[in-house]
Amino acid sequence: MILTGLLLGAVLGYVLQRSRFCVTGAFRDLYMARSARYFIPFLLAIAIQAIGVAALTGAGVIAPEAASFAPLAVIGGGLLFGVGIIMAGGCATGTYYRAGEGLIGSWVALIFYALFAAVMKYGPLGGFTEAARARTVGATTIQETLGVSVWVPTILFSALVAALVVRQVRKNAGKKAVRLPARRTGIGHYLADVAWNPWVGGVLLGLIAIAAWVLSTASGRNGGLGITTPSAKIVTFLTTGDVTLVDWSVMLVLGILLGSFIAAKLSGEFRWRVPDSATILRSAGGGVAMGVGAALAGGCTIGNSLVETSLFSYQGWVSFAAIMLGTWGAAWFFLMRPQKAAAQNRPAPVLSPAG
Amino acid sequence: MPAYTLQTNGAVCPFPLIDAKNAMQQLNTGDDLIIGFDCTQATDSLPQWAAEDGHEVVAFDRTGDAGWSITVRKGA
Repeated sequence: MILTGLLLGAVLGYVLQRSRFCVTGAFRDLYMARSARYFIPFLLAIAIQAIGVAALTGAGVIAPEAASFAPLAVIGGGLLFGVGIIMAGGCATGTYYRAGEGLIGSWVALIFYALFAAVMKYGPLGGFTEAARARTVGATTIQETLGVSVWVPTILFSALVAALVVRQVRKNAGKKAVRLPARRTGIGHYLADVAWNPWVGGVLLGLIAIAAWVLSTASGRNGGLGITTPSAKIVTFLTTGDVTLVDWSVMLVLGILLGSFIAAKLSGEFRWRVPDSATILRSAGGGVAMGVGAALAGGCTIGNSLVETSLFSYQGWVSFAAIMLGTWGAAWFFLMRPQKAAAQNRPAPVLSPAG
Repeated sequence: MPAYTLQTNGAVCPFPLIDAKNAMQQLNTGDDLIIGFDCTQATDSLPQWAAEDGHEVVAFDRTGDAGWSITVRKGA
């Protein structure tokens, strides 16, 4: 039943759009703004999923297989992906849901991301990707190395996240940001008017990730949320007509577009938005780096930083760190460095007296 | 007190916030900065920045589909 993928993808797209959940922003702002407002909710999503996956695996409902660890491919790919998502202004899921909001720049990034993921996975560079990812080391997961149950890292990590959540909640307290005036009342106000806070986004993301394991397994695909492989599959299906490529995960990513479009349309937040040519070019370059990087690393901020991390695989956590370092380096290069240069050379943004 | 407008339509996040911070540096305490933007994430990041940096949000509303305007009065 691959249609459950479309449904869950739509729920995911809806949640991401309403909660403005952006993993790129979460990583970037940890460095640029020293803010963990979205980063801690993202860790919470990993912890929720880890608990759910460990329980369901124990119950025999699902049987996740962590990816073998190919250090060079994962580190190199992760860094490249991190740079790409800063250039594109959003990670893979972020790009899907912004495309659903009508951002032309995100469509450009999305097309180049899917195209280059296909080139790397099913196209002329497929052999290179395979060779790079075949250079594995023996270790796969943390619990395997330590010779302990998966519950040991799960409980330790969850306890750490719980402490971080308490700290962040205290930090947020007392800083009430002004909200937009309400346009709807009753349930509509909560569903398609007021923005959902990052905690709601993080908790729902964790629950959706658990549901993905169950629904995907039921459809015959052993896996959780995944974005890069289905994106590459769409391109390859469209160019070869090979229908066997259309699986649950393909439905999932199409669902994200659909769900985000519905959320944005209902909330008055959909409009085709055309950026300037510099943004389009940067988005295209970012999309290429994302496709190549995610194919090498074996996943994006979802497949690796959210899903593989919850299995406590080395690929998941090493790529989490590599992607984050990539976003920090790129944030300095593309966002902070020009700022500093601008402060000295360029006249500041144009201001005009109002009224 | 003077008011200034900063139009950031077409700029994606984090650029509206970066430009707003830059612009704010040129203003004096009590001046108003009216920021027009069409990046959805900025509906979160701009009021959040104002709250954290101690600026007062004088007005915040939609200007149409996926378009917003926020007026931030510079704090001390």
